[in-house]
Parts: sequence; structure tokens; C-alpha cells
Amino acid sequence: MQQREEKQLETSIDALITRVAHLKASLQSFIIKLETEYDRLTWPSVLDNFALLSGQLNTINKLLRNEKTPAFRNQVIIPLLLSQDRDEELAKLTEQRVPVFSHEIVPDYLRTKPDPEVEEQEKQLNTEAARMGTDVAQKQIQALNKLCTNLLEKLNNPREDRESENAAIRQNKPTFNPADTNALVAAVVFGKGLSNRRPQGSGGSVPPGQTVGGAGPMLSGGPTLQQVTMPGAPNQQVAMGPQVPNQPGQPGKMPSSIKTNIKSASMHPYPR
Amino acid sequence: MEAPPVTVLPVSGGTINMMEYLLQGSVLDQSLESLLHRLRGLCDNMEPDTFVDHEMVFLLKGQQGSPFILRARHSLDRPNAPWHLRYLGQPEVGDKSRHALVRNCVDVAVSHNLTEFLSEMGFRMDHEFVAKGHIFRKGALKVVVCKLYRLLLPGNTESTENLSLSNLVELSMLAPAGQDTVSDDMRNFAEQLKPLVHLEKIDPKRLM
Amino acid sequence: MLLTFLFFPIFKWLQCVTVPVAEGKSVQQTVEMLNKKLEQLGAVKQGNFYVDCETYHAGAPAIANSGQSQKFLYVMHNSEAPLSCFALFENGPCLVADPNFDVLMVKLKSYFQNAKGNKVESRGARYQYCDFLVKLGTITMGSSARGISVEVEYCPCIVANDSWNLMMEFMQSFLSSHVPGAPAVFGVKPDGIYSPSDTMVQYLELFNKVRKQQATPSTGMR
Repeated sequence: MQQREEKQLETSIDALITRVAHLKASLQSFIIKLETEYDRLTWPSVLDNFALLSGQLNTINKLLRNEKTPAFRNQVIIPLLLSQDRDEELAKLTEQRVPVFSHEIVPDYLRTKPDPEVEEQEKQLNTEAARMGTDVAQKQIQALNKLCTNLLEKLNNPREDRESENAAIRQNKPTFNPADTNALVAAVVFGKGLSNRRPQGSGGSVPPGQTVGGAGPMLSGGPTLQQVTMPGAPNQQVAMGPQVPNQPGQPGKMPSSIKTNIKSASMHPYPR
Repeated sequence: MEAPPVTVLPVSGGTINMMEYLLQGSVLDQSLESLLHRLRGLCDNMEPDTFVDHEMVFLLKGQQGSPFILRARHSLDRPNAPWHLRYLGQPEVGDKSRHALVRNCVDVAVSHNLTEFLSEMGFRMDHEFVAKGHIFRKGALKVVVCKLYRLLLPGNTESTENLSLSNLVELSMLAPAGQDTVSDDMRNFAEQLKPLVHLEKIDPKRLM
Repeated sequence: MLLTFLFFPIFKWLQCVTVPVAEGKSVQQTVEMLNKKLEQLGAVKQGNFYVDCETYHAGAPAIANSGQSQKFLYVMHNSEAPLSCFALFENGPCLVADPNFDVLMVKLKSYFQNAKGNKVESRGARYQYCDFLVKLGTITMGSSARGISVEVEYCPCIVANDSWNLMMEFMQSFLSSHVPGAPAVFGVKPDGIYSPSDTMVQYLELFNKVRKQQATPSTGMR
């Protein structure tokens, strides 16, 4: 009986030692990675490291919870001999972390009770918990449980449910404007709104539907890329320079989303 | 673009064609910071490069209907860098399942007398603009976030004016013709930028 | 066969001189002779070199600006600058570009036609003698040898004025009586800093002279 217990103890301690060694190795490599490759790290690889560590911690927990593992707290370690001399065996066993089995290290390594301050705090928490009535406690437990289950549900459910919620939340804060996208792309590709040689007009409102139709980029009289629109002033809202962008498919609609610093139509940078 | 072309290939009669795969979108000024933060996390971890470039677009009128377009770009904040000449072909049509705009692309680094040379060749400048922003890289993928400015006086890059309240976001990659996995990679990356920016294939003909 | 010389004082300045060859010598033999002379002087052969020049002319008259005569665009390569491509107009600007420029010219082929028959090349040996680099090449157009190019480069100096005399002396030592006067480009920027485009401009001048010789039949000299 004795032997079996002893054997169990030994195997479980060995298993624990190997698992802890793995954990230590991965921590070490992670630290080295952070110290030397910090400028090349990507967030996904850091997340991988954390996932690895959490996996290893999980296996250690499972090991400890295993029914084959004897309760370690039933074992007592009593120092039999303390000396100030360096013990080579011990040093080798602990990879040079504990070279001397002396009076300094014993209180730390063989500690079984928490620090006095921690003990105080624990006592306080215990008295407070005892003071609280059972139904109050019950209610708090239920609230916590509910929050946890809600969260788990949200995390486990398929994405579509979530996205509709998110879309609703984000409606108020648009981060991009598709009309702007089109205007910028047009500017880069054909220089819409950029050409310096367009004759500009001012005064009077622009009938937005009057554009020269067709898709050819060539104008009579000069190689330019833009279509000509009836020269006119920018409308009340828009002030994208004196140029009115084309909207061949929507004759009635003015581009309303492009705003620039020029507010008044009288500030023409181009000669008439 | 201030960054040099991704590859310089030996020439063999134009048989090697580099294609540019492109996705474009925009982001409003107020959301620019969040986009930059996200890009800093997603892209290769180097100091994000800022640039100020002046680009001029030159046309050569020929017998055919459409003129030949060349884009000359030079850096305003790194004046010693070589000028960059770029030819972009018509976007390839047909494959609707391809997620990015694909067009033929030739990049040449040139000396500083480019404008003089181009006018000697017969090119005339059509329009110009100044682009100012950031450039990020992820492997061979290049992400550019920039603001476009119009020049108030031709040739004068000091007096410029904002073109809109948005910044242009472009995701591009250069690859030899025929590599279609490129557009899938680009789309996966673009997914990670949603919903901040919606990067898509914008057909320039639609905007004309 | 006429002998044509190019001289490049100071990191390449060139001058074009046509000199009659000695009786009974072919181009190849003259080149051999010069090579031997250089080796006797103590120059060390360091591989080969080549310079080539292709001519493009604007395809349609509509392109030539306002009725001017057709312009020729020359695209040149130099083994001394293997990752560069030089594009120039005669008496016009010289653009230094990377090799992709050739790809661009292919794209421009409907606007600029390549006159393939006009391609001129110079190939030969590259010698180093102390601070001098001497390149002796045979100029060929198509498959016929048209002349000899001699390029002399004085590496330490980059300002034309300062080393012309030194170069003259050096050239006299192996070219004896064929040393030319100061090159024409010399006058243009006597105190200017050398750049590789200056070399190419000189080569272009030389090649154009060689091309013009095509019209005149051989004068009976070999």
C-alpha cells in the first residue's frame, strides 16, 4: 500500500516537473523573442505564444486535478539539515537556481502559509462573506452566472447574429464615404478636378443635367482626359473648386459629399 | 511612388510583363488614426514611411483615339531620390471572379531631367497633383494611405489645396502575369480592414 | 577602311577623328596592333566592354511637334553601367533610366519605331593602366565593321579642364601621331562635373558619324 502510494507520488511529481519544464522553456523563448525581435513581431505570432502558454497551463491544471494524483498538500517537507556550504548535487538538480540549502532560502521555498498581510486580507474577506446574508449572496451568484452564460452564448453563436448588432452600433460613425472614394479614384486616374487648364466660369447656378455625354476622353482642340461640363458656379453645398464632377447616370443629383476648404465661389484660383 | 519598383527585370523584348493588382478605397479624416493603428499592427513591423510626392501625368497624342499616358512622380521630401516613371495599361476585363483590378505596369527609375525629356519626346502634361501620406508593406503587398492635393498654380507645389475630406487607400501588388492567387491574398487582407475601409475593385470606366 | 577614333579624357571625354589607316592593314589588324602596344606599355586586360545604340524615330508625322522634321530618339547601353539605360536626343536632354526603359519603348512601339538596321555597337577589350582605363573597340553596324573606337578614361579626376594635358600625353604614348585636339564637348562645360551622360553623348556623336559614312562608298583604302 505504502509502496503504491509512493510510486504514485513519484510519477505524478515527475510528470509535473516535465510539464513545468515545458512551460519554462516556452516562457523563455517568448521572452527572448520579445527582447530581440520586437521590431519584427506580428500580433498573430504574439497571440500564438500566449495560446501556447495557456495550453500548457491547462495541461498542468488537468494533471493536478487528475484522480491518480495524490493530494500534495498531505505531504510535508521538513528540512533536516541546513548548511551555509554550497551543495553541488542540489545545484545540479535545480539548474543552479538553489546552490546553497541555507537559512535564507528555506522560508521562501518551503513556505506553506501565505504572507501575514495576505493572511489578514483573507481573514477580512472571509468575515465579510460570512456577514453577508445567504440570499444576498445567492443573488450575487445568480447575477454572475447569468453574465457568464450570456457572454459564452455570444461567443459561441454564429457570426451573423453578431454582425447585425455591430452594424447597428456602427451606423452612427461611418468611417468612409463611397462618394469620396469615387472622387479620389477619378482624380488619380484621369485628373478629375485637377486639370489646371479648364476654363472656369462663375455666377449663376449650374444645371446639373447639362453634361456632354459620351465616354470618349478626347476633346476637340486638346488632349485632355476630362469631359467638359457646362461651366458654372459650384452649387451651394459643393465647392470642389470650380469643377463640377460628372454624374452621367444621375442627372438630377449633385455630389454633395465633397467638401473642400474653399467656401465661396468668388475665390477662383484659375483665370476665367 | 517614392518606393522603388518592386522588381527590376531583365528586358527581353517585352515578353516579361508585370501586372499590377489593385484595390482601392477611402477613409475619412476622422477615422484616419484608427486605420493607421490597424495597419501598423497588420503590416510588417517597420517604421511606417511617410512620403510627399508630386505626380504629373503626361499624354502623347497619336493617330489612335486614346492618347498614351505616362505618369512621372518625384518625391518632395527626398529630393535626391530618382524620379519614377510609370506606364499603366488598360485594366484587364473579363474575369469577374478576380477580386482585384489587374493592369499591365512598367516602372522605370529615371534621372531628374524627366520633364524636359518627355516634352522633347512630344508628351504634354495633362494634370498634376501632390500626394502626401503613409506607406505600409506586408510581404510583397503595398498599402498606401494618402491625401491628395490640387496645385493652385501649375508647377508650384507650395500652394496646394485639399481635394476632399477623405484619404485615398490603395492596396497593390506587382506580380508577373498569370498569378491569380495574388488577388485572393489581397482580398483576405482587405477583409481585415473592414469595416474601417471598404477596399474594392473600382472600374475607372464607371467613373468617367 | 577609315579609322575613327574616340577619345575620352577625364572619365570620358570623347573626340571623333577620322584618320587614314596604314596601307595594307584591316580593322582587325589595327585593333590587334593597338592592343599589343597597350600591353607592351604595361596595361592589364580586364575583360571586355560594349556600348550600343539603337535608333527610334517618331512613327507618324502627327507626332513631330508643329511640323518639325522627324526627331530621332537614341537608346544606348554601356557595359560600364550595366543597370542603366540612356535615352537621348541629339543636342537634347539625356535621360538616365533603369533597364525597364527598354520595356517601356516596346510599349511605345506604335509611336516610336525602332530602326533596327541602324543599330551601332562597339565591342572590345578593356585595359587598365594605373589610373587610366582604355577601351579599344570595333565599331560595327549590322555585321560590317566600320571603325575603331578608343576610349580613354582618367579615373581620379572629374573636371574636364584639369587633366586634358595629362591625357594627351598618355594617348601619344600608344597612339603616336593620331592624337586629336580637345574634344568639342570640352568647350561646353569646361569646369563641369563629369556624368555618365557625357560619355554617351560623345559616343552618340561618334556613332552618328559612322552612320553617315554608310552613304559614302569605300574610297579604296583598306
